[in-house]
Amino acid sequence: MRLHHALFGPLDDAGNRREAVTRRLGGAIALGLLGDGEQLPPEQELATSLNVSTVTLRDALAELREKGLVETRRGRGGGSFVRMSGAGLSALSRERLTEMGVSDLREIGDLHVAVAGTAARLAAERASEAEIERLRELVTRLRAAEGDADVRRIDGRLHIEMAAAAQSARLTMMEIELQGELAQLTWRASAGRSGSELADARRLVVEAIGGRRADRARTLVEQQLGDETLRLIDDHIRLMRDRAGEEG
Amino acid sequence: MISGTREDHDVAEVVVEVVERVFATVDEVRRSTLAVHAAATAAGRRLSDDDVHGLAPELLARMRRPDEVAVGLGVILEPGLLGHPHLRLEWWQWVAGKDDPARLEVDLRPDSLDFYDYAGTEWFAVPRRTRRRHVVGPYVDVHGTDRYLLTLTMPVEADGEFLGVAGADLPINRFEALVLGRLGAGSAGVVVNDDGRVAFSTSSRWVIGSLCRGEMPPASRPLPGLPWRVYDWS
Repeated sequence: MRLHHALFGPLDDAGNRREAVTRRLGGAIALGLLGDGEQLPPEQELATSLNVSTVTLRDALAELREKGLVETRRGRGGGSFVRMSGAGLSALSRERLTEMGVSDLREIGDLHVAVAGTAARLAAERASEAEIERLRELVTRLRAAEGDADVRRIDGRLHIEMAAAAQSARLTMMEIELQGELAQLTWRASAGRSGSELADARRLVVEAIGGRRADRARTLVEQQLGDETLRLIDDHIRLMRDRAGEEG
Repeated sequence: MISGTREDHDVAEVVVEVVERVFATVDEVRRSTLAVHAAATAAGRRLSDDDVHGLAPELLARMRRPDEVAVGLGVILEPGLLGHPHLRLEWWQWVAGKDDPARLEVDLRPDSLDFYDYAGTEWFAVPRRTRRRHVVGPYVDVHGTDRYLLTLTMPVEADGEFLGVAGADLPINRFEALVLGRLGAGSAGVVVNDDGRVAFSTSSRWVIGSLCRGEMPPASRPLPGLPWRVYDWS
């Protein structure tokens, strides 16, 4: 519910609204809130929910169409339909990555470390055996995941469930909002690592939680998310330099 | 033992009274569900999406009752029971900032990060397996309400066929206030669920949501018909 709100709720006034809508819808596609082949809600409804004009929404849809993420069919049974396109999502997240600065990326990483690190520590103290079992199942699914989008979704879900296992509704809400934001920025989990690589790392965290080793769980999350932020910053710098090279 | 001028109530007694009050409402929802199912069966057809939709006005009316303590109420059906849709729930709830209860809209697509996999939840799976009522929590309801809750559910069965569960959500804060408001000043206790998690306590030594490990009061007893145990002293 909260995730739905993070992606379809009203935009604030800051920044370019068309780009913000494009990113939000891209994030919703990346996380599977809008499924492949699914028809988008009526334009008026979607525009109201996002608190933008239908003109802005149509501009954003045009951009998504150009990136192969939305298909519009005319006539009876027509409308706008979602197309899952890895290339389209990559293009969107590259654009987002160049819009942001290093300090913005560091800020998101800092907040994620604070939220997820604390959640891991508290989960080690408070999670029930059933909750720990659910975290283990998610690691198993992560290992088996094929395709970047699946890896992204399952890893997101693992972080959200970890915050819930900490018995904190507030940390859970913050984690969900961060996942909504990260999905717009990098639809691939953790800079394109495979599911099994990522599962190796996350398994250590879940086993620390299961072993009731609170400090170790926290330290592992801090290290892993810290490294992932640095990788994102490197991607950002490389993209900016490439673009300067193309323009120069 | 000297008690104050107000009458003291036993922790176990008050907790059971509050929980039974919520279960009484859940039982009404269970009966209504059985009634629409019986009507469909009598008409020679299976339960339909429209039948389930027909429960909405009654759920809404119950939620609006001034003395209703549950913040969410409804029925969740066995996957496949209707034929189409495969997954179906009819659940109404109070949402912060809204003047009237709203229908819970959840994501029922398995591929979504937000997928509400209700058949796998403890509040659904346990009554399905045991055919007995259950209380889950306190827990963070990630895909439904984002709140810290107790969820109380009862199986809905017709001639031995499991149709789903009827249930109610009670925020842990409301539960705590209801119990504390009925206890006298003298009685004391900790209520622990079957995960070893504190559901209620009169002392900051055991905080709601934490797991009980280490030293507990010496005497404890199970609460009748609940997956809970009370440690009390005075």
